[in-house]
Amino acid sequence: MELIHAFGIDYKILIAQALNFAILFFVLYRFGYKPIFAFLEERRERIRSGVVMAEKAEAKLRAAQEEKNAIVIEAKKEASAIVANAYALAELGKEEKIKQAKEEIASIIAKEKEKILAEKEQMTKEIKADVADMIASALEKILGEKIDAEKDKAMIKEMMLRK
Amino acid sequence: MELNISIAPDILFYIRSFPVTNSLIWSLAISGFLIAITFVIRFSLKTVPGKLQNITEIIIEESFSFVRSVIGSEEKAKKVFPLFCTLFLFILTANVFTFIPGQAALSLRGGNGPLPVFRAAMADYGMVLVLTMISVLTVQIVAIAVHGPFGYLGKFFNFQSPLKFFLGLMDIVGELAKVLSLSFRLFGNIFAGEVLGMVMLFLIPFIVPLPFMFLGVLTAVVQAFVFATLTLVFITLASEIEEDELVEQASM
Repeated sequence: MELIHAFGIDYKILIAQALNFAILFFVLYRFGYKPIFAFLEERRERIRSGVVMAEKAEAKLRAAQEEKNAIVIEAKKEASAIVANAYALAELGKEEKIKQAKEEIASIIAKEKEKILAEKEQMTKEIKADVADMIASALEKILGEKIDAEKDKAMIKEMMLRK
Repeated sequence: MELNISIAPDILFYIRSFPVTNSLIWSLAISGFLIAITFVIRFSLKTVPGKLQNITEIIIEESFSFVRSVIGSEEKAKKVFPLFCTLFLFILTANVFTFIPGQAALSLRGGNGPLPVFRAAMADYGMVLVLTMISVLTVQIVAIAVHGPFGYLGKFFNFQSPLKFFLGLMDIVGELAKVLSLSFRLFGNIFAGEVLGMVMLFLIPFIVPLPFMFLGVLTAVVQAFVFATLTLVFITLASEIEEDELVEQASM
């Protein structure tokens, strides 16, 4: 008892100290460790999900890039196909046109030839008619003037020579 | 000036029949300080931490990982951590606060001369005894919870052989010795530090007490850590199930 007294131990103070510590413990636990741990856990979770999201976004970006590249390649292929097609079509059209033009030219030439021939025939006909007329009128004139044998002979001679 | 050294804390005044000692006031002030800081941190938690929050987070996370490394499992560590950390913070703050300059100068006029208003909380054996009892009782409760009431008693009263019976009795002595060793280690260190500092200040007030004060700061931190860690180790030992016990449980 003497020792306890020497240390100044009083049960009332002991109870007070215990209560004090209990309150401190409770407050630190309820308002200190618990919320801080929850908070730290939440932040860790947030960081983890952030990293996961970033990874996902990166993967998506890569996929999009690949898709884009594929599309571009596809488009290029298609474009070159279209161009080739167009070239082929143009070639075809050109040949056809040339052929057409040639045909046209040929037909024109044929027509012209026919025309020329017809005209020539016509002219020959006309000339022949004219010549006969002239001969007839010349004959009439000569015959109308004086028809003698000499003159006739000479005229015929002349005409023969002329021809 | 004369040295005023007393092992017991001084009673400053009475509230009815309740004696209010200087170390009780001091420990209340420390509790109030810790509670205030806790509330400040609690209601200013931010995702991007400020300085105070940063320090708190480091202390809490590091001490938690320490507790986990000692006790071995996350689940157990979560249960023990609040007690460990509160003990550590309370003792540490109490010890460090004794280095606030000027506090020793405050005194009340008592019947037998001046009474110092402030006294290191851990230099009050009653205070230390309360902490020790909390620690030791927690160890016993953990042991009972883990081994069951009969397993707990069986550890102390073992009738399988005379040797085991004797060892069981020695365990009782060991548990009681824990109370004494835990409490007197802390009390002795802090009280001795206080007395030493006082004597040095009394003999040569300038410069010479400084190394002793540095030593005191070291003691303040180390003893807080030792007390909390010993509690943690005792709890860890109590919470471990020994192999033959496992066999027993499996055969039941």
